[in-house]
Amino acid sequence: MSWLGPIRTATGGLLRHKVQAVVIGMVLVVSTASATLAFALLAASNAPFARAFAAQRGADVTVTVNAARASSAELAATKTLGGVTAAAGPFGEATVQVQAGGQPFGQLVLAGRASPGGALDDLVLNAGHWPDGPGQVVLDASPGPGQGGQGVGLGQGGGAQLGSTLSVTGVPGAPALTVVGFANSITNTADGWVTPGEIARLRGPGTPPSAQMLYRFTSAGSYAQVRADVAAVTRALPPGAVAGAGSWLAAQDAETGNGAIMEPFVVAFALIGLVMAVLIVGNVVSGAVVAGYRRIGVLKSIGLTPAQVVVAYLSRVGGPALAGCLAGVVVGNLLAVSVLHQSSAAYGVGSQQVPWWASVAAPVGMLALTALAAFGSALRAGRLSAAEAIAAGRAPRAGRGYAAHRLANRLGLPRPIGLGLAAPFARPARTLVSLAAIAFGATAVIFAFGLHSSLSRAAASQTLSAAVPVQIQQFGPGAGPQQFPDGAQDAAVTAALRAQPGTRYDVAVYLDQVKLPGIAQGVNAQAFGGDASWIGYGVIAGHWYDAPGEVDVNTAFLTQSGLAVGDNATVMIGTHPVTVRIAGEVFHPSHQPTLFGSVQTLPGLATTANLQEYYVGLRPGTSVSAYIQAVNARLGSGSPWGATGPDGGQFYQIASALIGLLALMVAVAAGLGVLNTVLMTTRDRVHDLGIFKALGMRPGQMLTMVVCWIAGPAVIAAVIAAPAAVALNTATIGAMAGTAHTGIPASFTQVFPPSRLALLSLAALAIAAAGALLPAGWAARARPATALRAE
Amino acid sequence: MRQQSVPCVDGDVIRLDGVTKTYQAGPPALADVSMSVATGEVVAIMGPSGSGKSTLLNLIAGLDRPTAGTVTVAGRRLDALGESALARFRARHVGIIFQFFNLLDDLTVEDNVLLPAQLAGASRKQARARAGELLARMGIDQHKNAYPARLSGGERQRVAIARALVNSPELLLADEPTGALDTATGQEIGTLLRQLNEGGQTLVLVTHDPALAGRYAARTVRLVDGQLAGVGVGVPA
Repeated sequence: MSWLGPIRTATGGLLRHKVQAVVIGMVLVVSTASATLAFALLAASNAPFARAFAAQRGADVTVTVNAARASSAELAATKTLGGVTAAAGPFGEATVQVQAGGQPFGQLVLAGRASPGGALDDLVLNAGHWPDGPGQVVLDASPGPGQGGQGVGLGQGGGAQLGSTLSVTGVPGAPALTVVGFANSITNTADGWVTPGEIARLRGPGTPPSAQMLYRFTSAGSYAQVRADVAAVTRALPPGAVAGAGSWLAAQDAETGNGAIMEPFVVAFALIGLVMAVLIVGNVVSGAVVAGYRRIGVLKSIGLTPAQVVVAYLSRVGGPALAGCLAGVVVGNLLAVSVLHQSSAAYGVGSQQVPWWASVAAPVGMLALTALAAFGSALRAGRLSAAEAIAAGRAPRAGRGYAAHRLANRLGLPRPIGLGLAAPFARPARTLVSLAAIAFGATAVIFAFGLHSSLSRAAASQTLSAAVPVQIQQFGPGAGPQQFPDGAQDAAVTAALRAQPGTRYDVAVYLDQVKLPGIAQGVNAQAFGGDASWIGYGVIAGHWYDAPGEVDVNTAFLTQSGLAVGDNATVMIGTHPVTVRIAGEVFHPSHQPTLFGSVQTLPGLATTANLQEYYVGLRPGTSVSAYIQAVNARLGSGSPWGATGPDGGQFYQIASALIGLLALMVAVAAGLGVLNTVLMTTRDRVHDLGIFKALGMRPGQMLTMVVCWIAGPAVIAAVIAAPAAVALNTATIGAMAGTAHTGIPASFTQVFPPSRLALLSLAALAIAAAGALLPAGWAARARPATALRAE
Repeated sequence: MRQQSVPCVDGDVIRLDGVTKTYQAGPPALADVSMSVATGEVVAIMGPSGSGKSTLLNLIAGLDRPTAGTVTVAGRRLDALGESALARFRARHVGIIFQFFNLLDDLTVEDNVLLPAQLAGASRKQARARAGELLARMGIDQHKNAYPARLSGGERQRVAIARALVNSPELLLADEPTGALDTATGQEIGTLLRQLNEGGQTLVLVTHDPALAGRYAARTVRLVDGQLAGVGVGVPA
């Protein structure tokens, strides 16, 4: 017999067992797609900023110049300075105050560019289109702060959307800008972009024209080098021309933090998905070969050699596996579009793609795994004699499961349930693999819920959104020196808040830098002009300050100072030393050391210049949006102050969406694994099922029995998955906190009260039931005579 | 554990009217078969391989559905019942004995016999008492905790007969009950079946063995290529 014969023989078997072929194909689709996505996510989490910076030709430095003091020729000449490797601009720039829907929206730094592309700072348009006329603006979609400071993007309180109209205040004619798109600048060179001709219309009366120049330098790898590069440009321009500069390093610090935080849970899910894919593919493929043992025996009896048998069965699984892998790569790439869109937003980069090697490694890896799983079983079949192969292809080894059936009958359970619960013991290896697949799937689901809860608590704690739904911030120039609000304008805020019935708490927040021996950089000091215990900072250790002289600090403060909770510290406020006692460590993730205290404990901070914002707590039942509108109405459009909601914590929203998608994929893969197991068992026992039907087992009883085949392993899987998910959640949150250089309050990981954990553990049963129902239904509907005829 | 019998039309336990069964393309396995079996009768169905004997038995047992025609057993139109109702009907009114026993290898002898009673919802105590009674009657109660693999062919068929009788069905169907047994054992089983019939049990027997049919059946129905070829009267031994 030629080699083509065995392959044709295998194909004949394949066509007859379409269901098995489809299951193999589907498992490989899901597994390959999961692997492709897992690899893509791992790659996306690996230095996302650096790769995006290179891909988007990021600018090392963005220099803002006073265009009245430097001519176009002088600006052009800086492009050929020694050390400059690339330059772009000048782009007209305007800093504007905007309102949306009559509410303060923030300050935006807008640049005028004819197109998003360019030799430097290649912008990635994420939504909408580039401005092609007056009255249009594209906003920066980055989650972090823009060069202008306020970074409005998608996550800002009040959240602009495509089609939103922004009113520019303080400019003649109060021009309106319609949001026509969102784009990403890897180094956040502006908060938004308009057409070049629009810039002049957006400048306030008497405001000097400004422009931005973008540069790349030979050496810009450190803050010192960047400062030297900026100094070189400054020297090349007339005095006073350079008004400010932003560097890529600051953008990297802001965005890399988020990326590093994402990495632990992305890696966790990627590994769960990969391991499960390996398990399921191995189980499905080896099971498919074992299911064909009887046929192999028959083929050997008519003359197939052992080698031909091996080839025949590798072909049998190879066909659907290859189709599944190819389809899986396509599905994985399609899924990656949405997933990487979200991860790129979280990482603050323009776009991320599936690396070519992921689209190769995933299918090749899955095919190799398939071949390995099939080869072992096919080799064994090839070595068996015809009679042994036929015998091995029938019911499981005698003796297995007998004790389980006896026990099940003695327990007095309804018979179909007893029969179903005892059945897995007949095929212990297959049962173990199914149990593992369900355990992985359930772990992923429980972990996802826990992670979502933990991140929600972290988000609420970081944004203070739970206790501080309203913040009063400065959105416009004040009447005081350096455009700070004056005393009367500040007093108007307090009066407006006190007059508003929904106000429960309010406190003024002052911010300045202080010095602490042992910390080279400055320490941010937040001083509260009243009771701040209601704000709800997450306490990691110790307690919120409640006595004079006490302060709370963030983790960066303790790490960089070497101090601990309970220690005393002497801080320099200006030139005055102040001794404070560290009462507690609070959750405030930042590289910047920060301390929190009252204005009495931190004298000298409560100045008009330092007044940052007001925090407002509302009475229960008060509508936040109505309150904000009412306060803004009381303050009036002339006030520099405006009420707004807190930042929605875009990173956490994106992370939650990713978690949900990944958990769903893992759960689906687990369900497919269960489907395959139950299907194989149904096929193994089709004759027994016929006997049950002949003896009077009703379809409903048959369905119950088949579902119970997997119920026992599912319960055990649930018992395994629950503590595993709790441990995984704790470890992942800990790792995420570690990369964010912060401790976390214990409550962030205490998200599994017993009742909730018990309910979530039902995920294992849900996965098992979902996978078992289809083959159980087929078994229930099968004609008894047909089943009895099967061997 | 005798269950109330369903009154039959004209004393017939089984009535087939114009029954045809076709599997996909090709000639029908059964073509326009009409026959009846009276209460307490022993009828043997005979014919060469592929004549449709087992198909006929499957239709009578409700294990399969006719393509055309009606099948009435113990007063119920089986062709009009859903799968769930058919299963209930089988459990309570029909006992089936197969050529190759079809015992469940992972259940003990007693558990095999108990199974139809448990599926029909009988109480545990009643079912055990009935199973014990039947195993003793079959002479195999000493094997009640053994597994089928350890029994001889004759003993397995006795277990299968006990299982078929546990719900006291009106009708007993036997598909080649001695086909897998040696001659002596086959005769023992045949004698058992005759004793059951003498006790009033209606029995339909599929066999290719004329001696068996002649010895135990009051009437023989012959099938050839799916069609009735003739009815003969048997002389019980």
